[in-house]
Amino acid sequence: MVSPRVASPTKVGRAAAPTAVSRLIARRLGWAVVTAWFVVTATFALVTAVPADPAKALLGPHATPEAVERVRAHYCLDEGVAGRYGCWLAHVARGDLGESYASKRPVAELIAARAWPTVQLAVAAILLQLAIGVPLGLVAAARRGRWQARAVSIAEIVGLSAPSFVVGSLVAYVFAYRFGWLPIAGYGDGLHDRLRHLVLPAFALAAFGAMYYAGVLRTELSSELARDYVRTARAKGVGERGVLLRHALRPAAGALVALIGTDLGVMLGGAVVVETLFAWPGLGRELLQAILAVDLPVIAGGVMVAAIVVVTANLVADLALLWLDPRLRDR
Amino acid sequence: MMRVWMVVAVLAFACDPPDRGPRWRAAGNASPQPGGTLHLATKDTVKTLDPSIAYDEHSFLPVHAMFDTLVDYAPGSTELVPRLAERWEASSDGRTLRFWLRPGLVYADGTPIVAHDIITSLERALTTADSPFGPMLVELEGAQAVLDGKAAHLAGALAPSERELVLHLVRPNAAFLHVLAMPFTTPQRAEHVRAAGEDLRRRPLASGPYQLAAWDEGQALVLVRNPHHADPARGRIERIELREQLSRETQFLMFERGELDAVERPSHPDLLWVTSQPAWAPYVKTQPGLNVYGARMNVRVRPFDDRRVRQALNYGLDKDHTVKLLAGTAVPAHGMLPPGVAGRDDALAAYPYDPDKARALLAEAGYPRGLDLDFVTIADEEAEKLAAAMHGDFAAIGVRLHVSVVSFSTWVSVVGKPDGPPLSFASWIADAPDPASFYDLRFHSRAISGDSSTNDSFYANPALDGVLDAARGEPDPAARAALYRRAERILYDDAPWIWNYHQAMVDVIQPYVRDYAPHPVWGRDYTGAWLDLDAHGERVSW
Repeated sequence: MVSPRVASPTKVGRAAAPTAVSRLIARRLGWAVVTAWFVVTATFALVTAVPADPAKALLGPHATPEAVERVRAHYCLDEGVAGRYGCWLAHVARGDLGESYASKRPVAELIAARAWPTVQLAVAAILLQLAIGVPLGLVAAARRGRWQARAVSIAEIVGLSAPSFVVGSLVAYVFAYRFGWLPIAGYGDGLHDRLRHLVLPAFALAAFGAMYYAGVLRTELSSELARDYVRTARAKGVGERGVLLRHALRPAAGALVALIGTDLGVMLGGAVVVETLFAWPGLGRELLQAILAVDLPVIAGGVMVAAIVVVTANLVADLALLWLDPRLRDR
Repeated sequence: MMRVWMVVAVLAFACDPPDRGPRWRAAGNASPQPGGTLHLATKDTVKTLDPSIAYDEHSFLPVHAMFDTLVDYAPGSTELVPRLAERWEASSDGRTLRFWLRPGLVYADGTPIVAHDIITSLERALTTADSPFGPMLVELEGAQAVLDGKAAHLAGALAPSERELVLHLVRPNAAFLHVLAMPFTTPQRAEHVRAAGEDLRRRPLASGPYQLAAWDEGQALVLVRNPHHADPARGRIERIELREQLSRETQFLMFERGELDAVERPSHPDLLWVTSQPAWAPYVKTQPGLNVYGARMNVRVRPFDDRRVRQALNYGLDKDHTVKLLAGTAVPAHGMLPPGVAGRDDALAAYPYDPDKARALLAEAGYPRGLDLDFVTIADEEAEKLAAAMHGDFAAIGVRLHVSVVSFSTWVSVVGKPDGPPLSFASWIADAPDPASFYDLRFHSRAISGDSSTNDSFYANPALDGVLDAARGEPDPAARAALYRRAERILYDDAPWIWNYHQAMVDVIQPYVRDYAPHPVWGRDYTGAWLDLDAHGERVSW
């Protein structure tokens, strides 16, 4: 049987695109679950391979063997890897993620409390990366061979070479300690105070990405500027600014969108160094503490959430790419 | 060109350190003033406010401020004083302790504190699976049965009246009073414990000078004065704000800017700087801690089964060098007990640094050409620095040290196993300023068991066991101290550890923080401190 929709060639383009998109979404969400499961299982295997005993880590060097045994039994740590994994899966099946060994706080509550600060930092950093990277990339492409382009190249080398803890320490010293314009560390209360606290960590997190974006955009724009349609546009009398912003930028931005997807995923998983440096109460710092304390339920819960976030962020980036470049919808 | 010079000028200004003396001074009030807010920070998180669980140094600050116990330590001292108890008596056989509570004691919600509430706490420690304190109570009659789940109530603890508590011990134990100074023995009202349930960790019912006002976990905890607390000498500061998870370096920057009123243990560069500044020097407060650091050896494993090897390593370590590495905040150790703890033989000096003697002892033990040793240490700035120093010192006596760095969790999990690393970093922070708290779990043969021995040197010596057992029950302080000096000498000669140093607690405070020094047991105890501010409650600039 032939569907009437397919029979009409004029409708194919319009009807096929949403089907491809929904199939993509369904497939990716399926993969998100599989990826999260795989990542958590692998994490369990890795954490168990370390000779650290969560019960001893929790109780410390003073713990008598009886106290250690009690804690092992309480958290089903005495049942081997399979037992621990089974215990955790049982919690997940019940809809909770267990409780932290160290603080006894429910893991779901703990992750929820840490997720919002991480989201704010990640979004601010991505926006900063774009706000700094895109203009610099445009300048470098438009002023190729001139001092402006060389200045951007130098800034790129510095930004790409300086680790976030160096950038973070430097801006904290200058703008917070030395000049006192912004707080040294912390999270802040209320919108204004929060934004003040957000500036430096977001900048420290964004410094590398901003310069990377500038470089990628410059390369992409350079290749776009050499294409025929650009020559046509110029021939039609479109000015350089118009060529750059209205014609070349959109196709060149595709690469940035893919990067944003990856970056957002990574940043939402937590930015350990920057969060630690600026005492930003995000997921990364929490996960690091949990790993050091062998706090299995927190590690498993955090890793699971991070895996889902990475997969979802990539999915969103792919959807954005489809929107930006209609040619991809038919693939 | 002009622009370049402007950039250079701005950069030079940015990098030029500001005037770094204290910005504020004490207002000069002659007597302690109530009020004000004290801003503190901690490197880690406060994990729980449930006194039956809290055992880490970061949770201890709020826990000690909120929970009073029968007995406590005098300000700046390790001397036991009555707190909730008005007085106490020990029976002539040393097995019964009788306490009388002060009249009119109430919790922060105004309800009365009664003697039975202390029994509730003791039973909670015994029945809460992840309480680290249960095993500390086995000296109480009937505690083992509760711990094993064979009894629901503690037979050895009775409350004949609302103000009277009687505790029966299985044997005389002079150190047991120290257990009753620990916050887990604070009175807990059973109805509150039941009503709070799982939420008890963040719903404390305070009996001490402060109560919880707010806690945004992982970020900040706020304590305010408990209006029902009767002692005017404690809880003078109105509000204590404790910010969590700020690195030492960040804390110090915030302290200099006046965002914090005190910092604990600055990093070594900050500490060296602050102690070298005459303007800051009066505000650096130090106090010997109840700790010892060094390396432990499994004395049952070659080559550490030979005492001469163990002694050689003690002679081969330059402790004075260690003290320098620690920015002068430590004293060399000759044994477990730090200065100030009864039973420490101050006449005994640390093993001198004597590479020749070390080499001779190694040769005598059959290692004339030295030997290779594996050393496991923890991922900690200080411990790694010390491992590097040890590596250098031992190279001079022909011992080639192969250092592995592991996490604290891994280290604490493997050192108590008989087949664990034979030589590793070791540290011990005692629960109480009592020699029993340094020796019993570390060197008594009873503490060797299975794969989680706290006696991780696997040192078993009947002579030492005998001395430790006798000392535990000895009621006469002088005779008890003499016994512990004997124990110290035995261990000194047998050298199951390479004793290195005792670390001091170091806090730097703003000039307007008055009557504060780190407490020998509690560390950061601000319950007796006050803020010397002007009439409007503001800080006074220099």
